[in-house]
Amino acid sequence: MTPERWAQIEGLFHRAAECAPEHRAAVLNEACGNDPELRREVEALLSCDGNAGDSVQAAVRSGLADVGFPLTGETISHYHILDGLGGGGMGLVYRAEDIRLGRRVALKFLPEDSAKDPAALGRFEREARSASALEHPNICPIYEFGEHEGQPFLVMQLLEGQTLRELISAADQGKPPLELSKLLDFAIQILDGLDAAHQKGIIHRDIKPANIFVTREGQAKILDFGLAKLGSVLSVEGDDSERNPRGDGGAVGIPRETVPLSTPDMFLSRTGVAMGTAGYMSPEQVRGQKLDARTDLFSFGLVLYEMATGQRAFAGETGPELQEAILSQMPSPARGVNPELPAKLEKIIGRALEKDREARYQSASEMRVDLEALQRESVPRHGAQWRVMAAAGVVSLIFATAVFWLVRRQPRSLAAMPEIKLRQLTSNSGENGVKSGSISPDGRYLAYIDRVGMHLKVIETGETRTIPQPDEIKSKSNWVDLNEIGPWFPDGARFLAGTHPLGLDVPLVTSQGSSIWIFSVLGEPPQKLRDEAQLYSISPDGSLISFGTNKGRLGDREIWVMRPDGEQARKVFDIDENGAIGWLTWSPDGQRVIYVKTTKGANEMFVAGDLKGGPLTTILPPSDLKRVPDFLWLPDGRMIYKLEEWETNFPTCNLWQIRLDARRGEFVGKPQRITNFAGVCANPQSVTSDSKRFVTYEWRPHSSVFLADLQSGGMRITTPTRFTLEETWNNPLAWTADSKAVLFLSNRTGVAALFKQALGQDTAEPLITLRKDEGLGSAFLSPEGSWVLYTVSPADSGPSVPDKLMRIPITGGSPQLVMTANIEEKPRCARSPATLCAIAERSADRKQLVFAAFDPVNGRGRELGKWNTDETADYPWDLSPDGTRIAILKNREGQIHILSLNGRVPQEITVKGWNILTSAVWTADGKGLFVSSYTPRGAVLLNMDLQGNARLLWEQPGGFDIYAVPSPDGRHVAMRGWYVEGNLWMMENF
Amino acid sequence: MSDTHEVTLLLAEWQKGNQRALDDLTPLVYRELRQLAASYLRKERQGHTLQPTALVHEAYLRLVDQTNPSWQNRSHFFGVAARLMRQILVDHARRKQACKRAGLKVPLDEAVSFQHERTWDLVALDNGLTALDKIDPRKCKAVELRYFGGLSMEEIAQTLDVSTITVRRDLRMAEAWLHQEMQNE
Repeated sequence: MTPERWAQIEGLFHRAAECAPEHRAAVLNEACGNDPELRREVEALLSCDGNAGDSVQAAVRSGLADVGFPLTGETISHYHILDGLGGGGMGLVYRAEDIRLGRRVALKFLPEDSAKDPAALGRFEREARSASALEHPNICPIYEFGEHEGQPFLVMQLLEGQTLRELISAADQGKPPLELSKLLDFAIQILDGLDAAHQKGIIHRDIKPANIFVTREGQAKILDFGLAKLGSVLSVEGDDSERNPRGDGGAVGIPRETVPLSTPDMFLSRTGVAMGTAGYMSPEQVRGQKLDARTDLFSFGLVLYEMATGQRAFAGETGPELQEAILSQMPSPARGVNPELPAKLEKIIGRALEKDREARYQSASEMRVDLEALQRESVPRHGAQWRVMAAAGVVSLIFATAVFWLVRRQPRSLAAMPEIKLRQLTSNSGENGVKSGSISPDGRYLAYIDRVGMHLKVIETGETRTIPQPDEIKSKSNWVDLNEIGPWFPDGARFLAGTHPLGLDVPLVTSQGSSIWIFSVLGEPPQKLRDEAQLYSISPDGSLISFGTNKGRLGDREIWVMRPDGEQARKVFDIDENGAIGWLTWSPDGQRVIYVKTTKGANEMFVAGDLKGGPLTTILPPSDLKRVPDFLWLPDGRMIYKLEEWETNFPTCNLWQIRLDARRGEFVGKPQRITNFAGVCANPQSVTSDSKRFVTYEWRPHSSVFLADLQSGGMRITTPTRFTLEETWNNPLAWTADSKAVLFLSNRTGVAALFKQALGQDTAEPLITLRKDEGLGSAFLSPEGSWVLYTVSPADSGPSVPDKLMRIPITGGSPQLVMTANIEEKPRCARSPATLCAIAERSADRKQLVFAAFDPVNGRGRELGKWNTDETADYPWDLSPDGTRIAILKNREGQIHILSLNGRVPQEITVKGWNILTSAVWTADGKGLFVSSYTPRGAVLLNMDLQGNARLLWEQPGGFDIYAVPSPDGRHVAMRGWYVEGNLWMMENF
Repeated sequence: MSDTHEVTLLLAEWQKGNQRALDDLTPLVYRELRQLAASYLRKERQGHTLQPTALVHEAYLRLVDQTNPSWQNRSHFFGVAARLMRQILVDHARRKQACKRAGLKVPLDEAVSFQHERTWDLVALDNGLTALDKIDPRKCKAVELRYFGGLSMEEIAQTLDVSTITVRRDLRMAEAWLHQEMQNE
């Protein structure tokens, strides 16, 4: 091409390029005239104009990438190298595809020098392998070791996310890199990983932000276990370590600051001396002393400091300066840098950074415990609302659902102080548990109610007759339950009873929906005295009945009294809407009253006064009395109260007594325990007028696995048969993939364990045995059925302690942690060929239920969806077997929400004919749901289609909270039948 | 002798026409580039955009003694260094290509990877630049300075002793032309 022609082309190119596009044709027409070649050349150039610079740049870039990552595009062993990921102080990291397994991995090349000492390499390999063998979700696994042209490499899990180093560097200057909740979450995860490694005797030796990876899903992974040891050997041998003047620590330029060892001894590494990264070394590491797990805790303390402040704890330009600082200086207080940090975190960091390792945290788990405590305090989580429980004498069955999933210790029989005589007054089975009862003042009669009806028993002879229930109560039996037998009148001929609304959505027993009735043993018909009233007591002279009304947020706000005929009702006490009052009781002489006051932010207390407007005196209850309503004021002035001891999963309740001086408004003497129960709870209910005998209500829940076959396309079931026979808790949780065995939770051995029992057999084998301080929340199988996944929560701890999702092979083996999370309800996996497993958590404000996928091996995955919730309600949910939908039970509204996971419109199902639902589980074919509800007679299991048409499958009298676990083949259903064995006992000589 | 000093001297030698100086220069610059590239690509994954020019720029600043009086003419220095960078990168790409053609280390699976295409691009660019150098050496130089040397428009204008408007026009034309050439390759 001649220069002239080139100039001509260029000139026209610029003219055309610079004019408006619509004028271009005209410009070209005019300029080219009879030179079509010119036009073609310029048009070709114009078509390239615009982003041509990008392609030039891309070409240069690709060259650079090739230079930086020379192995790109090659295949090494069975790894096809895709591109470069970066480089660490040790060597380059590539993204590659494992051709054999078809998975993406990361290939990390070790420095060529490392191949020079096969022994050191072997040691590193062994250590890395053993760390990897832990299969801990917070340790990045190493799949394989290899060598390419004399350069050793390791194959690791490919992680997406960034290292803590990058996360910290990316934060704005002067701002803390992480919010507190995240910081604590990551820190706890890292300690979890360290703890697992330390327990196997593996020390990391080079914990630093660059060695901690945070995946996109928020999982922290510790990288490079064992590598530090390899590094030490190299350094000792005097190999040049590349010093990179950039020193930003980012990747290739990471300063591998090496510190001269006190003795350049080849064998030092054998005693565990290892080089870390100078800025994150422990004092003992700097000194070249023998290391133990505590070195990692010091280094992690430095990491934590940096996470909290964005600054390094020790600054030093050179290795020796840093060493000096590590050995002798205290870092400036973390809260001086970031004043928003909790003081407790500063304390935790301080303890980790103790120079003397004896003064430091002694184990990762010890440090984790402190961080978890801080997490509980600082990360708000509501929902564990203080619930005012039933009054003395009313243990409404609906409360038992609150402890639905708690694992309980095997109950034992009642035992009391030797001189106390115990006599069992009723011996109802679990199918027909007693709900409530009361002894007449003369001790002749016991009035009680069970699922069959109301009865009057002559205590002396045991003769029992039934008291007919009024038609009004019978007609309302679908929503009202007569479940409370109140006090007797002094005449020994009449007693009070209370009805309460039926429903799981009633968190408190209050006046709302409740009524007071009067019954007579002399044949007079029962009469209703008042609606919207919660029964409390009768005055000693029998002239007044006290009751509560006007329900506020915390309970009833007003105490009223009325005559035995229901007339002349008047308010005697009230409280503003920030409090609740109730359970008024007269003193034995009838002159004074006490009642219970609850205010938000203050513990409950007794308030003593009279009904004539006299001054009120506050009496604090015995400090260990958590729920004051559970007391009985005896005619002789003693007060009997119940204390729950929750030291294990099953509540043991013991009775105590103390004298109360009503006039002075104070307790006299020390509380004295009068029973020695274990594994049972008994409420003091009623007392005879001579104070010599009182009746307690004892209850223990049992559950059993029932089995039935599904018929008529799931519309019917065969008569359920008991699959577990032990009188303990036996809750079905899952089926094996072949539908031939049921997994269930039982406390039959005294501790909770997950059992597997094959169909047709009556013995079960334990799969997982829990510690006494652990509760099992759920158990289910991975999609293909090879893993049993289960959630473990610490028993009786704050709700913000994260639950652990664990796994074991279905064939048995050691449990492994999948992930930690604040698990809501029960995680679930779809069934193969679907692969999805899902978990639900609450958002920080509890206003959303957030669903996330997880992998049984790799842990947390992507977010699946969110759903707005009422922050105080619970939402049982279930994943459809094909993994496309989530059914969420809105148990307050009796509705089921179907959340689509593949973009379809959500569906709202109102269950026809049933307004209270207790569970919702997909049928095996995913075409409907098993839902449960209950009637006054017991619990029911229904089959419901997706239009809300429900069909009754089973009603278990006396049971409640049935739920279904369908077998994967759709042929059987395991059901949990649960009932409360409630009986009345009489205590004498106490 | 420090790397910095050595590179500076070798650049001067090469500039004087000593081709053997290039052989000595290449591994020094290559090592630096390799480390920097890895480092930059890593950052890019975190959302920082990779600027190869900045990278090259940084490599020079690091490798070349800025205080050496013989390099007072900064523009002159960059002109030489940008050519060097081009040479190194293209040599690497060509060597790699040659290996592949000779049947060495060809991936077992026949799928042509994304990476291969990108490697060809650089060789195509180099061919284009060589052709452009013959037609319009100033434009070739402008591209080298811009893309292999990491210079700003103003710096290129200074180096080539033209106005920035001319530089912009030169680059626009050169880029369109090179793009066309690379496509036709």
